[in-house]
Amino acid sequence: MTQAKQHAISINLNKCTGCVHCLTACPTQAIRIRDGKARVIDRQCIDCGECIRHCPRDAIESHTTSFSDLQRFAYKVAIPATALYGQFGNSVLPYEILYALRKIGFDHVYDLSAICELYIAAVEEYLTEHAQPRPVIASTCPVVVRLIQRRFPALSELIVPFEPPREIGAKILRSTLPAALKLKPEDIGIIHITPCPAKLVSINHPATMKKSFLDGAVSIRDIYPPILDILRKKDDTAIMRHLFPDSSMSGLGIGWSISGGETRSLPKFRTVAVSGVQDTIHVLDQVESGLLRDVDYLECMVCPDGCVGGPLSIENRFLAKSRILHLAKKAGDKSVIDRSEIRTMYRENFLSFQHPLEPQPSAPLDADPAEAIRKAGLRDEILQRLPGKDCGFCGAPYCATLADDIVRGLADIRDCPMTWKETP
Amino acid sequence: MTGDKAFRTEFSVKGREFSRAGDVSCRIKNLLKDIGIDAGTVRRLAIAAFEAEMNVIMYARQAVISLAVTPEKVSIIVDDEGPGIPDINLAMKEGFSTATREMRELGFGAGMGLPNIRKNSDVFHLTSEPGQGTRLEITVCLDGSRP
Repeated sequence: MTQAKQHAISINLNKCTGCVHCLTACPTQAIRIRDGKARVIDRQCIDCGECIRHCPRDAIESHTTSFSDLQRFAYKVAIPATALYGQFGNSVLPYEILYALRKIGFDHVYDLSAICELYIAAVEEYLTEHAQPRPVIASTCPVVVRLIQRRFPALSELIVPFEPPREIGAKILRSTLPAALKLKPEDIGIIHITPCPAKLVSINHPATMKKSFLDGAVSIRDIYPPILDILRKKDDTAIMRHLFPDSSMSGLGIGWSISGGETRSLPKFRTVAVSGVQDTIHVLDQVESGLLRDVDYLECMVCPDGCVGGPLSIENRFLAKSRILHLAKKAGDKSVIDRSEIRTMYRENFLSFQHPLEPQPSAPLDADPAEAIRKAGLRDEILQRLPGKDCGFCGAPYCATLADDIVRGLADIRDCPMTWKETP
Repeated sequence: MTGDKAFRTEFSVKGREFSRAGDVSCRIKNLLKDIGIDAGTVRRLAIAAFEAEMNVIMYARQAVISLAVTPEKVSIIVDDEGPGIPDINLAMKEGFSTATREMRELGFGAGMGLPNIRKNSDVFHLTSEPGQGTRLEITVCLDGSRP
């Protein structure tokens, strides 16, 4: 009983009690309660996962790739988000986590920290080459990309036109592995390990390319228990270190899962790092009003504190953040990439979007401008009649949302219990 | 102004209420999006409305911002009670600003407000009575039509 389509989030109608927690938590007002159950308005959902965080009954399910889905690949590669490194105990090091992934059944495991460094080095090239417009906005968080497409369509052109590190990593593997392994490309499965459901949406419905270079995304939530089992055994230390030497990790890339991870690598530029969905919306509103023009690079991550705050992570984000900071401090500013290679990749458009990000503005009140204007007036009049308590009883999060639904023909004023007295 | 076909609404803004800076222009922007005005035009109006709102907050006691939308154009009128502008030509010069040091430290008052509003509007009309207040009227034409 789910309603998944374009999205990686769906409501389990058996568990949903129709309470209002998700309703008010949704930053794009994409949820309504209808017939006692929460429903997602597909067009408005940006897959941020706020509803997952707020549901007290665990009724919001996220659809990520399951282990059994991976069996169709002869050769499986894991590209974990760097947020994974903060999920385990203080003494657990990245190479141990990567090795555990190997033991679980991945034939190859690819650390993303170097690709994160590569991305930001390319961003530096881009910022140097393009003096305007400003601020350039990071493309790493897929929810921010969707939020901009829908709610801030005019800002679409400000997004740096590079695929995020997970896609670049997969692209590199895709262009080298089939020949090296003498396997058909379709037999190689490249899987992201993710702290959020939005990554799967960006894989299944990519916004700036025909087909994603990734084949799926397994959630940290699902992969945590088997990794923990392996870590508990603590064997093969020598092999682990040999397979994933510390020297291959980028000090500049390892801190990417926390807010400010990207901007830290751009000391020559004016940068701003924002995290959390409400703060991101607030800052994008300011950008739309012409502010932040003196800022070169704006990093936005909709999860609080960055990817470590992802709704599908296990460890509380403060501990995860502390661990990542510790790892980043230990690694210092160690660079593992060759700048001249990046310049070549940049010139050859290896990182570039295949096609521009298409704005997807939300539907106006009416397709006919005159009628939309009339409805805007009517909506104000209806709002005047509503009690302004924002109680959610009608099924919409706020009185203003109900008024909007009414003029769009999606609700009735009698849905509001406080207007019952008024209407005969 | 076309009569019954227009959508009209008013907002009040208080001087020195920096904590609410941007609220009204944000509401105007969302209204324009709901009416289906294209993203580029909304952005121009959002920038103009924000600058106008900031001018009220920085310099005036209070103001009423009126918005009128017809299928042909969007008009914003900002009527403030405040010190007024003694020399409008001077005020329109890029970089001219009477902002205090405090305002500049907050990142406001670069002297780009009024020129920026004019740049983002098709019709720009500014009148002022020193000691009384200022009235700013801007219009942006829709459908790409220019007066």
